[in-house]
Amino acid sequence: MLVSSVWVGGGLSARNYVEVFGNPQIWVLFRNSITLAALTTALAGITGIILGVLIIKTDMPVGTLLAAAFSVPLLFPPYILAVGWFEILGRGGMLSRWTNAAIGEMTSGWLFGFPGAVVVLSSAFLPIVLLLTITYLRGVNPTLEEAARLSYGPFAVLRQITIPLIRPGIVLALTLVFLLTMGEYGAPAFLRLNVFPVASFTQSSALYNFDAATAAATPLIGVVLAGLFVEQKALGQRSYSFRWARPQMSQLIPLGHMRVPVVIGAMMLALLFVGVPIAGVLWRGSSAAALSEAIERGASSAVHSVLYATAAATLVTGVGFFLAYLIQRRALIGWRWLDALGLFLFTLPGTIIGIGLISLWNRPSTNWIYATPGLLVFGFMAQYTAIGTRMVAAGMSQLSPSLEEAAEVAGVKWFRRVFGILTPLLRPATVAAWVATFVFCLRDVSLPLLLAPPGQDTLTARTMTLMANGSPELIAALCLLSVTLALGPVTVAGIAWRFARRLA
Amino acid sequence: MTAIQFRNVSKHYRDKLVLSDLSFQIEHGERVSVQGPSGSGKTTMLRLLAGFLVPDGGEVWIGDKKVAAEGKILVAPEHRKLGMVFQDLSLWPHLTVYQNLDFVLKAQSLSAKDRRARIEEALERVRLEDFMSAYPTRLSGGQQQRVAIARALVARPVALLMDEPLSNLDDDLKDELCEHLLNLHAQLGFTLVYVTHSKDEARRIGTRAILLRDGKEVLYEMDHEGKGKSR
Repeated sequence: MLVSSVWVGGGLSARNYVEVFGNPQIWVLFRNSITLAALTTALAGITGIILGVLIIKTDMPVGTLLAAAFSVPLLFPPYILAVGWFEILGRGGMLSRWTNAAIGEMTSGWLFGFPGAVVVLSSAFLPIVLLLTITYLRGVNPTLEEAARLSYGPFAVLRQITIPLIRPGIVLALTLVFLLTMGEYGAPAFLRLNVFPVASFTQSSALYNFDAATAAATPLIGVVLAGLFVEQKALGQRSYSFRWARPQMSQLIPLGHMRVPVVIGAMMLALLFVGVPIAGVLWRGSSAAALSEAIERGASSAVHSVLYATAAATLVTGVGFFLAYLIQRRALIGWRWLDALGLFLFTLPGTIIGIGLISLWNRPSTNWIYATPGLLVFGFMAQYTAIGTRMVAAGMSQLSPSLEEAAEVAGVKWFRRVFGILTPLLRPATVAAWVATFVFCLRDVSLPLLLAPPGQDTLTARTMTLMANGSPELIAALCLLSVTLALGPVTVAGIAWRFARRLA
Repeated sequence: MTAIQFRNVSKHYRDKLVLSDLSFQIEHGERVSVQGPSGSGKTTMLRLLAGFLVPDGGEVWIGDKKVAAEGKILVAPEHRKLGMVFQDLSLWPHLTVYQNLDFVLKAQSLSAKDRRARIEEALERVRLEDFMSAYPTRLSGGQQQRVAIARALVARPVALLMDEPLSNLDDDLKDELCEHLLNLHAQLGFTLVYVTHSKDEARRIGTRAILLRDGKEVLYEMDHEGKGKSR
């Protein structure tokens, strides 16, 4: 992809880059993208960290329920939240109908700009901060806090010991949110915010200028590399002592008379971030006519979505399992680079991966894959293998290497050790990796828009395409279909998980 | 003078009774070992004393203050003036040796100069004055153990609680640290409550032993030959 952007008319040329970077508009895009990412990271970061601390470290009631509610937006593409807010705050939205058109004008102006995009993307990416904060807080050895409790009150311990200890998780979460916002296409495109992925996508899809699209995407690659470098620098080589705490060992901070106001505040925020946009989509798209049209026009795409996501999740989990083994057991020279490459591809905007794959495979000799959904599955694998690898590696890190060594000493071959010992023990991590990858593939927008063959698009791609001329009712109903499609397997997996735990 | 007192203390974890009607007292400056098999309630007893757990019944006293009673913490852990060495040491990994000790002293409204003097003195006592700027993870097991003891003692607590602090060390290091601990006790005269499952350690550290079995104190005194006298 990079080669083709500097290979113009049979020779090396910087023409594409000169054209792109000589255009003052590119710097406006850059400023817009950075501003959007910084504001989103700040809002999602502050809110997610505070919520994570309240849920895990205090006696605030219904914490698990709130964590689940705030995590719902992770299941579907951010543009659905944008559509939901549009149905509430847009010119013809609920608020405008209930009050007057002037208020609708005002709120619409607010939505189609930075404030709207920041709120939409913050609620979409808040689960990343929240879940990582929760995971890292649970991993803090409680005696580190207890040692400090002999000298300080609970809030001072939280500020001076607990938060610094989970800094690696916070840095990782903030970096991911920043980079994912930089690469987000769907929601900014819907809200007509001119940012890099939208410009890059327009160059490739509307103008068919792949070399210019690559050049336009280059700053994003630089930002991703810089973000990952900052993350690595911030984490360094520190190895803090984490362990899974038994619930009764962790002391909860009593909120006292603030308990009720805090939980009400958290519920209101959940309502604002998740409930209101979903209510907006439900309000507009839940009529029988709209749903019927959505099923008629989106059913085949929904089937494609599930098929591609299933294939990609299965491949990603399989490949991720073996990559996790290589990384966790340090069995490969350069395992750190392998891990970094996975994270790099995960945070790289889908538009760049898509353009890169098109540049690579769009040739007569490789048409056998280019013209099939195989290329899309390949794109999903490139983008999401890090999920499978990291999740399985996290499970693997909990297992003692001696479990495998005991079998090795007894003469059991590697293949049987992996499938007879590791695979059954890693079943929960493997299933979780599969479900997470499935959901991420299902919610992806950029890759299907660029890589799905004609007539074989996914539900997200179909919805984005129909946004240009479809009725608001149809779009909202298609969004509802997407939400149902994502919630279904996650709910089934959740129920199965609980059932399995009870049996155990 | 009594430093620590348990009066009919009981503690459940869900349905399991861990401590049942436990009563004992420890005098100022005494060295007491708390011994017993795994699951006998030794650590629970120590955590009740530190204020990390609430007793379901009975009372816990430190000096002349009732610090916990019948399901309530009356004095928070930070106001009990205790030092503690945890089984896994729990040295804060993001702070240097100096900062680990300084963090404890900062809670006491001392001037920076006084804090520095106290830290230098504490680290000299444990022979770690050359490791002030090292991070705990860079130290050996024995050095980490000594930092944990220095951190627990730097604030001059009324009692030092130790929860199986030597369980992960080899025999030579255990001998050395036991000796070191006894020297520190002789110099500073703090009250020592030392939890262990090892009879040898209990005999060596404690002038008295409390033997716990199934959450009940079954043996109260132990002589230097390790023979006990039932209460």
